[in-house]
Amino acid sequence: MKIPPRLTNLLIGFGCLAISSWVMLYFIINEKFEWIPKEVLELARDPELLERPEAKRCSECHEAIYEAWKDSRHSLSWTSKTYIEASENRTKEKCLACHIPQSVRGEKPTPRLDRREEGIYCVSCHFIDNKMNGPYDLMAPPHPTVRNPDYGRSKFCGSCHEKTFKQWQATKVEDTCQDCHMPRTKGRLTQKFGLNLLHKKRMVGDHRFLHGEITEKDIIVESELTEKMFTLSLLNKTIPHGVPTADNGDPRLYLYIKFFNEAGDEVDNAKEIIAPQQETELPYGKKMVYNYRLFDKVSRAEVELKYQPAWTKEKTDLWKVSVLR
Amino acid sequence: MKTLKLILSLMMLTFLAVFPVQAKDMIVKEPPKSLSKFYPPESKEPKWIQQMHKMSAHFGGVFVNLKEKDFENVDKHADKLVEEYKKTSEMVPEWEEYFDIKAAEEFAAAAKTHDIGKAGKASGKLGKTCGKCHGDQEISVWTKFHWPSFHKIKVTDPIDEKEVEFGKYMKSISSSMKGVTVNFGEGQYDRAGKALKVFKTRYMELKSTCSKCHTTDDVKLFYVGKDADTAFSGLANELNAEKPNPGNFWKNVGLLGKTGCKNCHLVHRTYSFIKEAWEEEDKK
Ligand code: HEC
Ligand code: HEC
Ligand code: HEC
Ligand code: HEC
Ligand code: HEC
Ligand code: HEC
Ligand code: HEC
Ligand code: HEC
Repeated sequence: MKIPPRLTNLLIGFGCLAISSWVMLYFIINEKFEWIPKEVLELARDPELLERPEAKRCSECHEAIYEAWKDSRHSLSWTSKTYIEASENRTKEKCLACHIPQSVRGEKPTPRLDRREEGIYCVSCHFIDNKMNGPYDLMAPPHPTVRNPDYGRSKFCGSCHEKTFKQWQATKVEDTCQDCHMPRTKGRLTQKFGLNLLHKKRMVGDHRFLHGEITEKDIIVESELTEKMFTLSLLNKTIPHGVPTADNGDPRLYLYIKFFNEAGDEVDNAKEIIAPQQETELPYGKKMVYNYRLFDKVSRAEVELKYQPAWTKEKTDLWKVSVLR
Repeated sequence: MKTLKLILSLMMLTFLAVFPVQAKDMIVKEPPKSLSKFYPPESKEPKWIQQMHKMSAHFGGVFVNLKEKDFENVDKHADKLVEEYKKTSEMVPEWEEYFDIKAAEEFAAAAKTHDIGKAGKASGKLGKTCGKCHGDQEISVWTKFHWPSFHKIKVTDPIDEKEVEFGKYMKSISSSMKGVTVNFGEGQYDRAGKALKVFKTRYMELKSTCSKCHTTDDVKLFYVGKDADTAFSGLANELNAEKPNPGNFWKNVGLLGKTGCKNCHLVHRTYSFIKEAWEEEDKK
């Protein structure tokens, strides 16, 4: 089929117009959004988004962030089996504030009555004074937004991670909780077709609220085996809060030590529980020393470190070392 | 406003002192299920307590204003008291009998004569209805709604890493303590030393249970804090010494038993006991 030249020209014309209006719109939406009249904005608004909807509603546009949040412990703060157990089937009044918060504002929140299954969700963390609070000064047609510098600050997380926040503050380390637990990568805030073409790329924080890894560079191990003594030390060199750290959870490191004689038989053993609830965590920058008196002839010690998160009874192996005399 | 609140709360306190609880033969019965609606988690706020504060504030308000001769407010508080009293009487059907609406209305009428003597006299009958219910029910309500249950707490025994119920764990703490003292008594110091390690590990594990009910770490200054640490190091020092000194050993055992076990039992076990009795009854 042959397209008449006039139609081609027309198509090219429309194409150019579409592209230039898209460029114009892109420019206005991303750079000069104050030009958009209020009345026009009202048309684009979805008032239901201001009715504290469930996280799924936000995922219509913020799909990637939603999927990440779904993977996070925050989405499970109310439905977590270990929480249900510890809170006596969720009846303990004192526990509600941080596990089903109404709204996070830099101090201990108050609990909410609705949508409890959502745990700590988008609305808890972003909806204040009828606006979506966030790190950016931007224009979101569907809902009002406001830039709030608190979102980059540790204090925000400290609303609930009270003890961890205090520990972090005392270290004077500059990296914030977000720097390590919500690392930022370039991407789009929204995935909804159309919207994603109209809004520029920005840095997006990882809403999986990553747990963080413990490596041999973070926890330095030293040990010495002599005739009468085994001495072991652990130093939390890089993590600016206790390891592990907790508020009401009970994460632990288990340190198992086995002593062997020349023939390779186990002659004795010892165990340490390194846990914030027992005030035996590894503080930042302070070497913790463990001494064991040996009663038998020992030629080798085996040290194993395991980690048990707050929300499970299962341990994962971190490392194992053998120390010879 | 602040001073007003202060006066009102003082009134509240004197009020409670004037209508003392008569509780020679006390019965601690589980409160009716219908009360649960007014406590978390079913209700966002402890509505029953708020209702109590309202009544108490209006009751006190009548007398404060009578003294200040602010009669307009005397009348207001009197009416409000009747209104809130009626409302409270409808909240828990099983407790309806505790209320005497006529006594409340008579008190309001007496208050409205603006004669402080008459008001005082009429308050007695109404006040008794408050006192009677408090005497019968307050401890039960505290136990039910302010005390979590120890029976539902599980502890992972740090020695064999098995989960056991709290009461059972207590028994194993108790027997590991005996492991230390019995061996010491027999002069088996090395064995006592090994048993002490087990005992200490088990005892310190209790520290992890506090956060299941308490949300501040300050409570850990008690029972499982410095005193316990000192007692344990005292015991270890004796057992590591060339010639252990029994005086020092038993002193530290006593310290631990008192500031650790006993004091914690005095604070926590009474309620645990009552709850257990209710739970047994519910099972029947
Ligand atoms: C525990 C609190 C918390 C929860 C829950 C949460 N956010 Fe966030 N959100 C934050 C913080 C903090 C930032 C700032 C991160 C940064 O430094 O970039 C942020 C940033 C954002 C941003 C701006 C882009 C960015 O990453 O900076 C968007 C959009 C957003 N969140 C949407 C959501 C949505 C949608 C949900 C639910 C699926 C959600 N958030 C759940 C705390 C939360
Ligand atoms: C219909 C689409 C849509 C829905 C649904 C939606 N948003 Fe947004 N949101 C946007 C757009 C568009 C932006 C701006 C994106 C940009 O400029 O890159 C935005 C930005 C944001 C920001 C960043 C604010 C800032 O100033 O940093 C937050 C926070 C946010 N949304 C939260 C939410 C929450 C919470 C929900 C659910 C209650 C939600 N959004 C639902 C479209 C949506
Ligand atoms: C509303 C209270 C609240 C706020 C605000 C909050 N958290 Fe949390 N956070 C929790 C609770 C409760 C849990 C435990 C959820 C569970 O596992 O049941 C948790 C879990 C976590 C975990 C997982 C811990 C683990 O054991 O794996 C990380 C990491 C974390 N939060 C980081 C952050 C960071 C970073 C911020 C600030 C951007 C933040 N949180 C803000 C309450 C909060
Ligand atoms: C320099 C990076 C860094 C900073 C800053 C940081 N963390 Fe961590 N965090 C880690 C690492 C690594 C881990 C894993 C080690 C561990 O389990 O403690 C971790 C673990 C955690 C955990 C899991 C609990 C546990 O220990 O098992 C929580 C909760 C947490 N951090 C909260 C916070 C909060 C809240 C802040 C800010 C006050 C913060 N972190 C600041 C690196 C960091
Ligand atoms: C001040 C806020 C706050 C309060 C109040 C609070 N928690 Fe938490 N809770 C947290 C934070 C933050 C975490 C994540 C870090 C950690 O593991 O402690 C958490 C984690 C937990 C965990 C481990 C995660 C899981 O899903 O199993 C349990 C269990 C828990 N809390 C139980 C409780 C109980 C029981 C209470 C009431 C006695 C309570 N919490 C009160 C903030 C709070
Ligand atoms: C039908 C039973 C009942 C009656 C009648 C009653 N109360 Fe109470 N009241 C209670 C119970 C139960 C509590 C304990 C509530 C708690 O601690 O959760 C209580 C507690 C109180 C408290 C202490 C609140 C606190 O913060 O601990 C005050 C003050 C009070 N009542 C005032 C009154 C006054 C004044 C009246 C009479 C006008 C009254 N009550 C009548 C059952 C009753
Ligand atoms: C089953 C729940 C539960 C557990 C577990 C528990 N407590 Fe309590 N405790 C309570 C309640 C309820 C009170 C009454 C006052 C309150 O609600 O804080 C109380 C009161 C106290 C008090 C009196 C002063 C105060 O601050 O309230 C101290 C001290 C205390 N507990 C210490 C501890 C210590 C230490 C542990 C751990 C070894 C512990 N408790 C474990 C429930 C518990
Ligand atoms: C957290 C505070 C606390 C501390 C510290 C504590 N106990 Fe207990 N203990 C309790 C509670 C609460 C109960 C009741 C448990 C129940 O009813 O299930 C109990 C019960 C007991 C029982 C009876 C167990 C049964 O079910 O028959 C014994 C025995 C006991 N404790 C011994 C000790 C000894 C010995 C120590 C000190 C070495 C000690 N306890 C320290 C709180 C404590």
